[in-house]
Amino acid sequence: MLAYLLRRFVFAVLLVFTVSSAALILVRLAPGDYADTAAAPGTSREVKDQMRARLGLKRSVAEQYGTWVADAVRLDFGRSMMYGSPVKGLVREGAINTAILAATALVAATLIGLPLGIISGSRRGPLADTIRTVSIVLLSLPPLLSSLVLLAVAAGTGWLPVGDMRSAGGAAWPLLDLLRHLIVPATALALPIAAMFERMQSQAMAEVVGQPYVLAAFARGIPRARIVWRDALKPALRPAAAVYGLVVGALLSGSFAVEAVTSWPGLGVLMLDALRARDLYLVAGCAAAGSVFLAIGTIVSDIALVLVDPRAVEAG
Amino acid sequence: MIAAVVAAAVGCSRPASSTSAPGSRQGGEIVVTNRSNPTTFNRISSDGNRADDLIALLTQAKLVRINRVTWELEPWLAESWTRSDDGLHYTVKLRPNITFSDGQPFTSDDVAFSLAAVYDDKTASPMKQGLEVSGKPLQVATLDPLTFVITFPSPFAVGLRILDSLPILPRHKLGAALTAGTFASVWGLDTPLTEIVGLGPFVLNEFVRGQRAVYTRNPHYWRKDASGAALPYLDRITIQVVPDQDAELLRLEAGQSDMTSSEMRPSDYAPLKRDVAANRIKLLDLGDGYDMDTFWINLSPGAFAGDPRASWIQKDELRHAISMAVNRELFVNTVYFGAGVPVFGPIAPANKKWYSPEVPHTPYDPARAKQLLASIGLVDRNGDGILEDAHNHPARFTLVTQKGRTDRERAVAVISDELKKIGLVVDVVPLDFGKMMEMVMGTGKYESVYFGPGATDIDPAVNQDFWLSSGGAHFWNPGQPKPATDWERRVDELMARQVASFDENERKRLFTEVQKIFAEHEPAVYFAAPRVFLATSSRVSGYTPSLIPPQLLWSADTIAVAR
Amino acid sequence: MRRLGLSFLVVVFAAAAGAPFLAPHASDAKFSELLYAPPTLPHVVDDAGAWHAPFIYPWRLADRLEQRFEQDRSTRVPLVWLRGGRLTQSSDDVRAPFLLVGADGSGRDVFARLLFGARTSLGLALVAALGATLLGGLVGGAAGYIGGIVDEALMRATDFVLVLPAIYVVLALRSVLPLVLSSGIVFVMLAAIFAVVGAPFVARGVRAIVRSERQLEYAVAARSLGAGHARLLVRHLLPAASGYVVVQLTVLVPAFIVAEATLSYVGLGFQDPIASWGAMLQEASNTRALTDFRWLLSPAAAIFLVVLGLNLVLQQSGVNPVTISSDEPLGRLRPDSHSF
Repeated sequence: MLAYLLRRFVFAVLLVFTVSSAALILVRLAPGDYADTAAAPGTSREVKDQMRARLGLKRSVAEQYGTWVADAVRLDFGRSMMYGSPVKGLVREGAINTAILAATALVAATLIGLPLGIISGSRRGPLADTIRTVSIVLLSLPPLLSSLVLLAVAAGTGWLPVGDMRSAGGAAWPLLDLLRHLIVPATALALPIAAMFERMQSQAMAEVVGQPYVLAAFARGIPRARIVWRDALKPALRPAAAVYGLVVGALLSGSFAVEAVTSWPGLGVLMLDALRARDLYLVAGCAAAGSVFLAIGTIVSDIALVLVDPRAVEAG
Repeated sequence: MIAAVVAAAVGCSRPASSTSAPGSRQGGEIVVTNRSNPTTFNRISSDGNRADDLIALLTQAKLVRINRVTWELEPWLAESWTRSDDGLHYTVKLRPNITFSDGQPFTSDDVAFSLAAVYDDKTASPMKQGLEVSGKPLQVATLDPLTFVITFPSPFAVGLRILDSLPILPRHKLGAALTAGTFASVWGLDTPLTEIVGLGPFVLNEFVRGQRAVYTRNPHYWRKDASGAALPYLDRITIQVVPDQDAELLRLEAGQSDMTSSEMRPSDYAPLKRDVAANRIKLLDLGDGYDMDTFWINLSPGAFAGDPRASWIQKDELRHAISMAVNRELFVNTVYFGAGVPVFGPIAPANKKWYSPEVPHTPYDPARAKQLLASIGLVDRNGDGILEDAHNHPARFTLVTQKGRTDRERAVAVISDELKKIGLVVDVVPLDFGKMMEMVMGTGKYESVYFGPGATDIDPAVNQDFWLSSGGAHFWNPGQPKPATDWERRVDELMARQVASFDENERKRLFTEVQKIFAEHEPAVYFAAPRVFLATSSRVSGYTPSLIPPQLLWSADTIAVAR
Repeated sequence: MRRLGLSFLVVVFAAAAGAPFLAPHASDAKFSELLYAPPTLPHVVDDAGAWHAPFIYPWRLADRLEQRFEQDRSTRVPLVWLRGGRLTQSSDDVRAPFLLVGADGSGRDVFARLLFGARTSLGLALVAALGATLLGGLVGGAAGYIGGIVDEALMRATDFVLVLPAIYVVLALRSVLPLVLSSGIVFVMLAAIFAVVGAPFVARGVRAIVRSERQLEYAVAARSLGAGHARLLVRHLLPAASGYVVVQLTVLVPAFIVAEATLSYVGLGFQDPIASWGAMLQEASNTRALTDFRWLLSPAAAIFLVVLGLNLVLQQSGVNPVTISSDEPLGRLRPDSHSF
């Protein structure tokens, strides 16, 4: 068990390293660099070259990459050219903001999707059909669209803030302020994921409920509710546990669109700006943060799977 | 830059400065949003972008100030001055007992120092050309700590007016850097804020790059209001960086900011009107402005070398045809939703002092435009609706503009549509601001551009870098060692006489001549000047709105808030 | 349900195909007096209760600066049919055009842009999906057939790409290209990027199928009869994967539509004046438009219809509208194929 987790951890570190390296080298090789995108108007070639020398953009790709790796191992990810402050701080702030959004969406999606899936998978009839239809509809609502629609509702009714993460200039109750701002983006992000959970859980539930031992339990007269929630549940949770961590990938993808639409200051929009400005170290930092999320997600998924089904250890 | 004048007599539809009982105005704070980030705290080595300019406006002071509403020159740090009979020497007396924000006394040495910093070769200040007359610097001689003499190399009509752009920086802080030759890199954004010392109404208290700058009252500020109470009224100004015009509007409407640092868009008018009805916002309609966007083609003599279009693309007839083909009424209606006026040259009608009705307007006449194009060999030879030259190259060129500014994007859409009707094809290329400036002002590798360089003063003598062929802001062909065309040579001569003459009428007459020559050759084409709308939260008062950005913050020391 | 889904798809694809006929105007036709004009709905009954052939009430500009319009209900402007190669138009197209879904900020017909935007978005998604299946089919087929170290290497590579959130990869690849490109080049570039990012999904499944099929009797028999590798692969093994591939196509298309919309929304996709759903949504997303010009959100409805239609079709055929990457223990599910 420990060896298994250790292997996954090594894989995670490799993943983070590969992704951020790839991102750094990709941007470094791209046409144009930071001095081109951001130099003040009328700056002469000489001054821009001075800027390049100062930012270390005149070195070869290999040299620059080598320096970056050496620094990164000491957890120094360089400075952002755009903002002038250390990448670590900027990325941490962006990652925390995205994590808040993603975690809220994930919790909401789980609380909505899993129970509904259990219900719809363990019985037939109009209720199950309605849930299934709603799920299909929600699955077809990418976060890009749902965030726009919800934003329109917020703008029209004035009940909720239209975009941003906090009220500029502070609020009387910061936590409440954050929650109010969280509603639109988290809902938009959570809906398709909740639907996905529901569909998966419904299928898994239906499979388990069709198993002979469950039918036998029914035949023996054990109450339906007890069968569903006690005996069938654990094996039925297997697929959900398997995918739980991998949902992180979906959350990251979805959160990019949501952040762009609602101006939520997360990792996605930070990386977009950094890519546009060719801000090398910031791009690498964001890529690293994103892959850390993914790696954590994979490990969480593996742990969840092991908890739900010990057989996974041998198979993994 | 562009020069225009607003008449001192403002109509009753224009808001006057608000007044309230003195003494009740002290204290309070405001939040302002600005769209760009500063590049340095050192105004002299900055290229003058909005964010750097704001820092200088709030933390520094100058010798004299141009009142941006009346356009009169006001004594500022300089209390009074006299001019010698030959018009070359100004003896200036400074206000006594003024200290910098760190308590050090302000003397004429600081004035000499600041000018020396501007003229210093190692500094290569972008402000240098604007503080020279006929290419020569001004001379400063200090007589005593409160008196100095400025000598102009040649007669210069507007005299001390050009000193409005010069912030007086502290010699005791920066003198060493100037001597050491490192002045250009001093006061960068990493400088500890206690080092940023000035004579302005506010002091920089907090700076988070990319997010905000917080200014607090300068207790040593020299200026007092009419009743003798100390200025500024405000305790604190926070300038937040909000890169998006939509986001700025949202914050203003939500009550999270009190004003923006520039004008509102015509498309913002409707929601703002609703807010006014709800008593959340004050909306100021300042009437037609004179900050205009303009279209020009790259007229540098080598720009199209080797290009088959070189035979016609830099000709006057092409630009006249473009000017005639665009329906300016349609332009105003589409780009500014009707809130603006057609303009035909760099001096807008709102600039009442310098605008002249004698200057001819290009008529809207697409048929004549086509004839003009035919006269330089552009005819539709194959019936495809596009003009071709004698070698069958299509009449097609690229137009660069600033991405993200919806009014400019709409404007180029109108221009490109109108030109298509007479057979000219324009390929619009929207670029990020930085990339665009690099192309246009840096490498010079562009074909045509639509952009709005901002105006700072209305008097043409202060905007010589635009009018003179050697000027850096002579956009279509900047920095010419000698005039490339005959008409530019004539303009150079007229401008030289204009800035030297002390007779107002003579100056006006000469400048009208310049405008006529400009209209004859149209090196840059102007289409419309938008009406200027400003919005503030309802708690703000004491502002003196100007037509030129920053419309309200240029006079930040008198702004007050309701308590 | 499946029929409903199919009908959505048919409607959208027919609309895209028939755009030049169905659209009352060209996608860049501008009505300068009707900036942000609300939709002109067709009526058949006038205010007095009398019946007429379908007509519209024109909009009159009430306040240009406030972009406010008033409907002139005293004038009926009838619609004309099958004139000038278009299904229907207003009889007074210059002053009172038929704007079924209103006009945008440049005075263009939003309905026409929806139709032509369907061509752009659907066209790109289809081309990219085909590219992805082709590329993925080749890679997966090679891996499954050759086996051994080639298989290992290819599968590690696809695993790596699969783990990453797709939109970030697309974003990174697109951003490193020059930011402003002509629309033709944008189309090709986006199609290529989407194909590369989508191929691994296909490769995994094809590889599994080919690997298992390779060991079946008919394949072994063919080999012993002297069939060459290529012939075996192309004639026998790959067709076995065709069912899977078709399903993958149906899953990839909506993902690519949303991906293009997202890219155009942040300005990295198609630019003005090309009609693209994502770019249209960008115009719709400022507060002013969200409160006063809601018809600008219609591309959202269009995208929703296409994706919903595809999902309805898929779910009836027994495939969970979530990609199943076969051959991994306990059926590892890849949820992010839908989450562009």
